[in-house]
Amino acid sequence: MAFEPRIVGFLCNWCSYTGADLAGTSRIKYPPNVRVIRTMCSARIRPSFVLKALAEGADGVLICGCHPGDCHYSEGNYKTLRRQVLLKRLVAGYGIEPERVRLEWVSASEGQRFAEVVADMTERIRRLGPSRVEMLPSTRRAG
Amino acid sequence: MSRPPLPRIGVFVCNCGTNIARTVDCEEIACAAMEWPGVVVARAYKYMCSDPGQEMIAEEVREKRLDRVVVAACSPRMHEPTFRRALASSGLNPYLLEMANIREQCSWVHDDPRAATDKALALARAAVARVVRHEPLEKRFVPMNPATLVLGGGIAGMTAALQLADAGQPVTIVERADRLGGNVARIDLTAPHLDSARELLLGRLARVSMHPMISVLLRAELEQLEGYQGNFTADVAVEGASRRLEIGSVVVCTGYKEFDAARVEGLGYGRLPDVITSFELELMLKRGRIEMADGRTPRTVALVHCVGSRSEEYHGYCSRVCCMTALKYGHEVKSALPGAAVVDLYIDMHAFGKGCEDFYRKTAEIKTLFLMYGKNAPPVIRPAGPKDDCNLLITLDEKLSGEEIEVPADLVVLMVGMEPREDAGRVAQLVNISRDKDGWFIESHPKLDPVATTTDGIYIAGACQSPKDIPDSVAQARAAAARILAKVAKGKIEVDAIFAEVDAARCSGCRICGTMCPYGAIEYDEEQKSSRVVEASCKACGCCAAACPSLAVRARHFTDEQIFAQIEGVL
Ligand SMILES: Cc1cc2nc3c(=O)[nH]c(=O)nc-3n(C[C@H](O)[C@H](O)[C@H](O)COP(=O)(O)OP(=O)(O)OC[C@H]3O[C@@H](n4cnc5c(N)ncnc54)[C@H](O)[C@@H]3O)c2cc1C
Ligand code: SF4
Ligand code: SF4
Ligand code: SF4
Ligand code: FES
Repeated sequence: MAFEPRIVGFLCNWCSYTGADLAGTSRIKYPPNVRVIRTMCSARIRPSFVLKALAEGADGVLICGCHPGDCHYSEGNYKTLRRQVLLKRLVAGYGIEPERVRLEWVSASEGQRFAEVVADMTERIRRLGPSRVEMLPSTRRAG
Repeated sequence: MSRPPLPRIGVFVCNCGTNIARTVDCEEIACAAMEWPGVVVARAYKYMCSDPGQEMIAEEVREKRLDRVVVAACSPRMHEPTFRRALASSGLNPYLLEMANIREQCSWVHDDPRAATDKALALARAAVARVVRHEPLEKRFVPMNPATLVLGGGIAGMTAALQLADAGQPVTIVERADRLGGNVARIDLTAPHLDSARELLLGRLARVSMHPMISVLLRAELEQLEGYQGNFTADVAVEGASRRLEIGSVVVCTGYKEFDAARVEGLGYGRLPDVITSFELELMLKRGRIEMADGRTPRTVALVHCVGSRSEEYHGYCSRVCCMTALKYGHEVKSALPGAAVVDLYIDMHAFGKGCEDFYRKTAEIKTLFLMYGKNAPPVIRPAGPKDDCNLLITLDEKLSGEEIEVPADLVVLMVGMEPREDAGRVAQLVNISRDKDGWFIESHPKLDPVATTTDGIYIAGACQSPKDIPDSVAQARAAAARILAKVAKGKIEVDAIFAEVDAARCSGCRICGTMCPYGAIEYDEEQKSSRVVEASCKACGCCAAACPSLAVRARHFTDEQIFAQIEGVL
């Protein structure tokens, strides 16, 4: 069977989640591979959430926040941006391709952009193939 | 040994007519859910948010003694409040609800029914896993201090102060200058009704200074603001001495400053003594004599609109008052110097306010020469030669005739636009509000909430929010006062149940969380050597919870356990 990537999306409530909702109200189609978890701000996303998702068998993790300068909490997304740099290094250290963890800015009016980001990420992860994390003994793949 | 009772979860899957059911098999989700741990009832229904839908949930909660509810339907941004109310009406704490977004983020964006149903199943499973870890949360209340600090004593600040004080609430006006009145005190007559600005102000000044509920601090600077809505502490420096004020709300009315006309080189301001700004003309009008630098009476007065406004190079926005003010000048010049000619150089005539079109018509009758120049192509002004029968020469690309023309003038008045004050950035930081790309303070919603800001308890009124005439400044000031009075009437502030909390036993006292919080909501307790969240200041961003190296911060309703459960659920 063809490989269907499973991607966990962490979206901030104010811009990106609203943008993803807008894609829905505008009936913009995109691949069903991303499953979204809402947080109030992208800065709530602890690196361990990302590691947990990868350990549980996610093939990719997409983090979306407000554009720089637009964070509802004024500066949360800058902290996210700084964490992202470390996060990429961290996952690389575990032998996971850093491209599996992606940060994007999506505003509340960018339903189209959200759909494009999901489509692009799904395609890239599809080409990358399944994550090798499942071979780690301590993790499992659910379902 | 007694074990905690297993959760009793109800799962309610909405068809949303055919909006969801067309692509997602809602019955399949309900069937599958019955197998998930803790689920005691799972039902699909056509419209969950309808009255019968909500009653169905409430009834199941009572009958099956449910203690957790999952609704798989539209976005929580749409109907979470609705279903929370449904829970509350059945006696369940509203926070024991979790929604799975299977419409906006599933049925509406996917075509393949199998894939959409699989995704909806994962989202519903995650919601069930998460809701098990939900806990009942209670809203809190903190007292509301009825006192208000008004920053800036221009027309907006004075109006807000009077409205609050007339309602019996104490107000302190903190004004930097040595007098009240702001920019209106620099104006002679006001457009469009030509009433005297002085009279407009005098009545107010008298009432402000006499009012038992208003204290005015002149030559005063706000140095620091701490606390949260209903309970702020302000440090104000008054002529060197520091004062501490306890207040519940702040209205920022710091106004604007005029654009520096010298920045547009071709206009010659600063080089040519008979090129003056609108405020300099106002001063002449107040003194009762319009004259040139050498004391002669001008025969031609030219008015140049949009200086610094509506341009690519300076400010893109319209300053909103200059067009009407220029018409007002035309009128005033004509009545003071009946023999003088008035030339009006404009880009577009903006006469949108009430009574302004009439004013335009009336003033146009007094023989003003209207010339139109192009955006980003301001006129160029140079001294006239000894043979010219005038003082200055203005060249412009005239749009109506399509020709480059030269206009003689003795006195040129530049209609300088408005811009944010130099220290607007510092003020924004002090009271924790944001500024737009042009530097004006940002309101909470441009249409529906124009005087509140994203920081509760901080309001903005007048020209500090964007260029504004007097009527609009006054309207905003009154609106801000009304917002505050509504809160004062309640006497207490509701604090959302979702905020962060520190487990003092786990906290190492590293204070990383405190440096992370954008609202200064985390205090450090020197005695306990641990941090503490001030609930009323916390906006629940969760940043501190992500940063704490000791896992001592819990972001209520977005805890690590809840999110971990959700991650397992979606995968
Ligand atoms: C040339 C000209 C002519 C005009 N003519 C008209 C007219 O005919 N009709 C009309 O309706 N409108 C007119 N306007 C517009 C009018 O000036 C404004 O609508 C009005 O001044 C706005 O009032 P405000 O209280 O918001 O701000 P301001 O008048 O700017 O007052 C702000 C006050 O806050 C104080 N302040 C600022 N920063 C601080 C701080 N950090 N701490 C303490 N105090 C501070 C200032 O000292 C000032 O007293 C004109 C404007 C211009 C430029
Ligand atoms: S609850 Fe939401 S999904 Fe269901 S009928 Fe109402 S709007 Fe549609
Ligand atoms: S970051 Fe954590 S450990 Fe450090 S002070 Fe804050 S709560 Fe305590
Ligand atoms: S959740 Fe956000 S606002 Fe609340 S204390 Fe933590 S960092 Fe500050
Ligand atoms: S609220 Fe969107 S990134 Fe902070």
